[in-house]
Amino acid sequence: MPDPANGEAVESTKRRRLLGLLGGGAAVSLAGCSDQEPSDGSDGEDGEDGMDGEDGEDQGPTNADKAQAAWERAVDNPLPEDEELRQEAYIEMEEAARDDAVLIPLYHGLTELFWYDYVDVPLTGALGKHWQQLNTTTVEGKSDLNLINSTFDELDPIMSTDTASSIVITQIYENLTAFPNGVPEIENQLLEEFEVSEDGTTWTFTLRDDVQFHDGTEMTAQDVKYSWRRTVESENSERAGFTLNQPVGLGIDAETDDDGNVVPDSLAVEVIDDYTIEIQLTGPNPDVLDVIAYSSFSVIPEGYVGDIEGYDGEVTHQEFSTEVANGTGPFELDVFNVDEDVTVVRNDDYYGEVASVDAVNWEIIEDSQAAWTYALEQNADRFEMPTFAYEADAIDAEADDRGRDVGTYGPAGELEEEVNYLGLSEISTFYFAFNAANTDRAVRQAIAYVMNKEQIVEEVFAGRGTPAYSFLPPAIWPTGNDGYNDFLDDYPYSRGESDPQGAQSVLEEAGISSDNPVDITLTTYESEVFQTAGELIRDLISGTGINMSLETSQFSVLQGRGEDGDLEMYSLGWIWSWPAVPYGMFQLEPLNTRTSTMPNETNGFYLDWQTALNEEAE
Amino acid sequence: MSRWQYFVKRLLLTVPVLFAVLTFLFVMLRAGPIDPVAARLGPQAGAADRAQLRERLGLNDPLWEQYVDFITDFITFNFGQSWVVQAERDILDIAINAAPATLWLGFWAILLPLFIGIPLGFYAGLNPNTLGDYTASLGGIIWQALPNFWLCVIALAVLRRTRNGGGPFGFDWYAFGPDFASRNLSITGTPSLEWFSTTDILFLPVPYVSDWTALAIDIKLILPAAIILGSASMAAELRIGRTAMLETVNSNFVETAKAKGLPDRVIVWKHIFRNALIPLLPVITSEAFLLIGGSVIVEQIFNINGLGRIFFQALTQGDLPMAGALLFLFTLIILGLNILQDFLYTVIDPRVGYDQ
Repeated sequence: MPDPANGEAVESTKRRRLLGLLGGGAAVSLAGCSDQEPSDGSDGEDGEDGMDGEDGEDQGPTNADKAQAAWERAVDNPLPEDEELRQEAYIEMEEAARDDAVLIPLYHGLTELFWYDYVDVPLTGALGKHWQQLNTTTVEGKSDLNLINSTFDELDPIMSTDTASSIVITQIYENLTAFPNGVPEIENQLLEEFEVSEDGTTWTFTLRDDVQFHDGTEMTAQDVKYSWRRTVESENSERAGFTLNQPVGLGIDAETDDDGNVVPDSLAVEVIDDYTIEIQLTGPNPDVLDVIAYSSFSVIPEGYVGDIEGYDGEVTHQEFSTEVANGTGPFELDVFNVDEDVTVVRNDDYYGEVASVDAVNWEIIEDSQAAWTYALEQNADRFEMPTFAYEADAIDAEADDRGRDVGTYGPAGELEEEVNYLGLSEISTFYFAFNAANTDRAVRQAIAYVMNKEQIVEEVFAGRGTPAYSFLPPAIWPTGNDGYNDFLDDYPYSRGESDPQGAQSVLEEAGISSDNPVDITLTTYESEVFQTAGELIRDLISGTGINMSLETSQFSVLQGRGEDGDLEMYSLGWIWSWPAVPYGMFQLEPLNTRTSTMPNETNGFYLDWQTALNEEAE
Repeated sequence: MSRWQYFVKRLLLTVPVLFAVLTFLFVMLRAGPIDPVAARLGPQAGAADRAQLRERLGLNDPLWEQYVDFITDFITFNFGQSWVVQAERDILDIAINAAPATLWLGFWAILLPLFIGIPLGFYAGLNPNTLGDYTASLGGIIWQALPNFWLCVIALAVLRRTRNGGGPFGFDWYAFGPDFASRNLSITGTPSLEWFSTTDILFLPVPYVSDWTALAIDIKLILPAAIILGSASMAAELRIGRTAMLETVNSNFVETAKAKGLPDRVIVWKHIFRNALIPLLPVITSEAFLLIGGSVIVEQIFNINGLGRIFFQALTQGDLPMAGALLFLFTLIILGLNILQDFLYTVIDPRVGYDQ
């Protein structure tokens, strides 16, 4: 439905699309861009006639209408005082998706961290340990902190798209704002204070005046401007969209040339004085402070690398990627042997709390046997546990007020002593989704009824995952923990059990039975979880009138077919790069799920949910 | 034809082989299922980026031009940059960085079969059908049957359990020899190989061992991996050594030698040993091939940053130029070894090769 009040949203489709292009090939972690959408169901939607009696026949608004209206309401009211209105709108979208069963969440990722008793490390938050600066960690009896990391090959913040590199980058470079320890509550880092103009499009940032880079030069507003220009002008940048796009990015104004490249020095970042900087956004954005905490907005000294116009660079980009670093963080880069180890040493002139350890060393280990050996030797002070060594019974933990499980583990198996334990639900969601144009709503709901998420998580992960009932993870639920629990209580499809009777009754209402069956194909990417879940669902649903067949395709093939509208039911996941609700929700805006215009004009999930809009249907 | 003429001829014969390999690599890289641009940019790149990269990689040039460029680049060891594994880094640099660890591993993995497998095989062959023969042969078969990846996992699990005297009879691998526990060293990882220095003798830098402890640490670090990597070849050499020995012992010239009244020692060392080596030689040289292949999995599990692990990463992540360059290097090594093998044949048995 065309959104008159919302020129912004329409314009922004193009920019949003950029975001989709940014994914890069690197490991899954930081990038949200792991999904895209499906097909164009040209034959209109048939399941949209409210057979469970919520919305009347064709007159009342459909669930898709509700979702579209809610999205527009949220986008049209971007000012801070409208926070509550936006929260409600996002929950309405969530409910609409649930009631229409276009997207059935399966699980949220779970991170489990274990550390020896001689280590004292602040509890990591739901954003994950790659947001955690280690200057407040102390190690008793050792001068260094030793950890394990995965392979990565770049320390340039604008190239980093994976967790492994950001774990190290976070120690060396800093942003204007940060999520301390990965807890999803924004705080100032290099920022002293900020001001927003009345219309919400001009932000003025005042920087701290006591910050030095590792080489001793002072950090000023010029450095911030240079660093942010690099995110859009440098050919090395993998995250230009996070600077230019709205609402899933910052949305700083910039001129582009005919090829779509940003004109040098046209980014609307203005240096007012040494410690004041002003940015001009294309529209109001409630998530500015969250977005600038993302690692691509890290501050490096002006002119350090010459990959944008006007600078020759003190070091080459290749040196900057792996050999040298110069940030403001609590640690300085010492050595980086790609694929072997990384060491950072304490920055004694740090403006904040100077680290208590002399150095942090990461051994780079990919193999789980080697990593487990390394951890048992106490060569790693904090570690994760491979599933072959994991014993769920050995955990003794309780939920804290942020929903994290905090406690102890062991002694168990080869681990001969008790260690500290932290289990945290990540801000990621893995889900099944349907192309609404190709599937009947009753079928989708029936599948939601038979799916027992607890059982799937238990069988596939030995319990190491959080069953998901909403697309938005609980850690960023707009109305907090209580609101999330209310949503759980209202879950209509028999939570925590498999309910073939429920499935049968929705199907009967729609006239589907084993005498009049419906075929549906579930396409999963190469993931053990989804394949197992698919088998379970197929077995449970058989005999009710739904004949489900399973197929597996490569990730890229699945994406391609999704964009062609060629899927019925499929599996994918979404990982938040920063804990903002719209960075995720934009993919559920019905108009943005039109697959026939993907990936250029629309970039939502492959739902073709717009076919369920009343106006579209006409 | 003299030995040297034969050698030169042999050398020239490898040139077409090399070209065949290069052509095969070219076809794989350019005509294979993986689009270089897609592999490098990932599935979500825009059309403009793709076109730009296509031009930059020279993929719009005529095919013959690409072929000539490719061959010249590879022959001059100009492999270009890695795409994915260590994006934008020079492939030759990466390979040179990773090579020492693999050489160190390979060195010890070759010593083991040479100095354990062959003597055991010869012993078994000289004393056929005794208890010693059965033990050695059976042991050899079992060694050969055990897969490397399994041995690696078990070795790690067993060794890490001996920490703080937890092994049988209080055995502690960590405290055995250079103490790993007190140095906070892991039994996995890449050897640092920093135990030698060079000194100038007559203006020529000559390496010498400057730090014996570091040498001992590196040996201890590599030993479990090397034993496992060498195990299959060791068993193969044991069995072939035994057969070769048996065959030679029963041949006519040995009987003649015995009849002449030569002492056993001279018969064994001068007549039997040399002749028994002939069938063993190709086994020993082709071991290098096994080592390159086997090091992939051993390096992965023991977390050694060597050529094998990089090759594995390049293959699994679709880093075509890197995989191609490493394959080319491996080919060079194998070809070199084949030449060496043919040359050694002529030394051991002058009848071979150039005489006819």
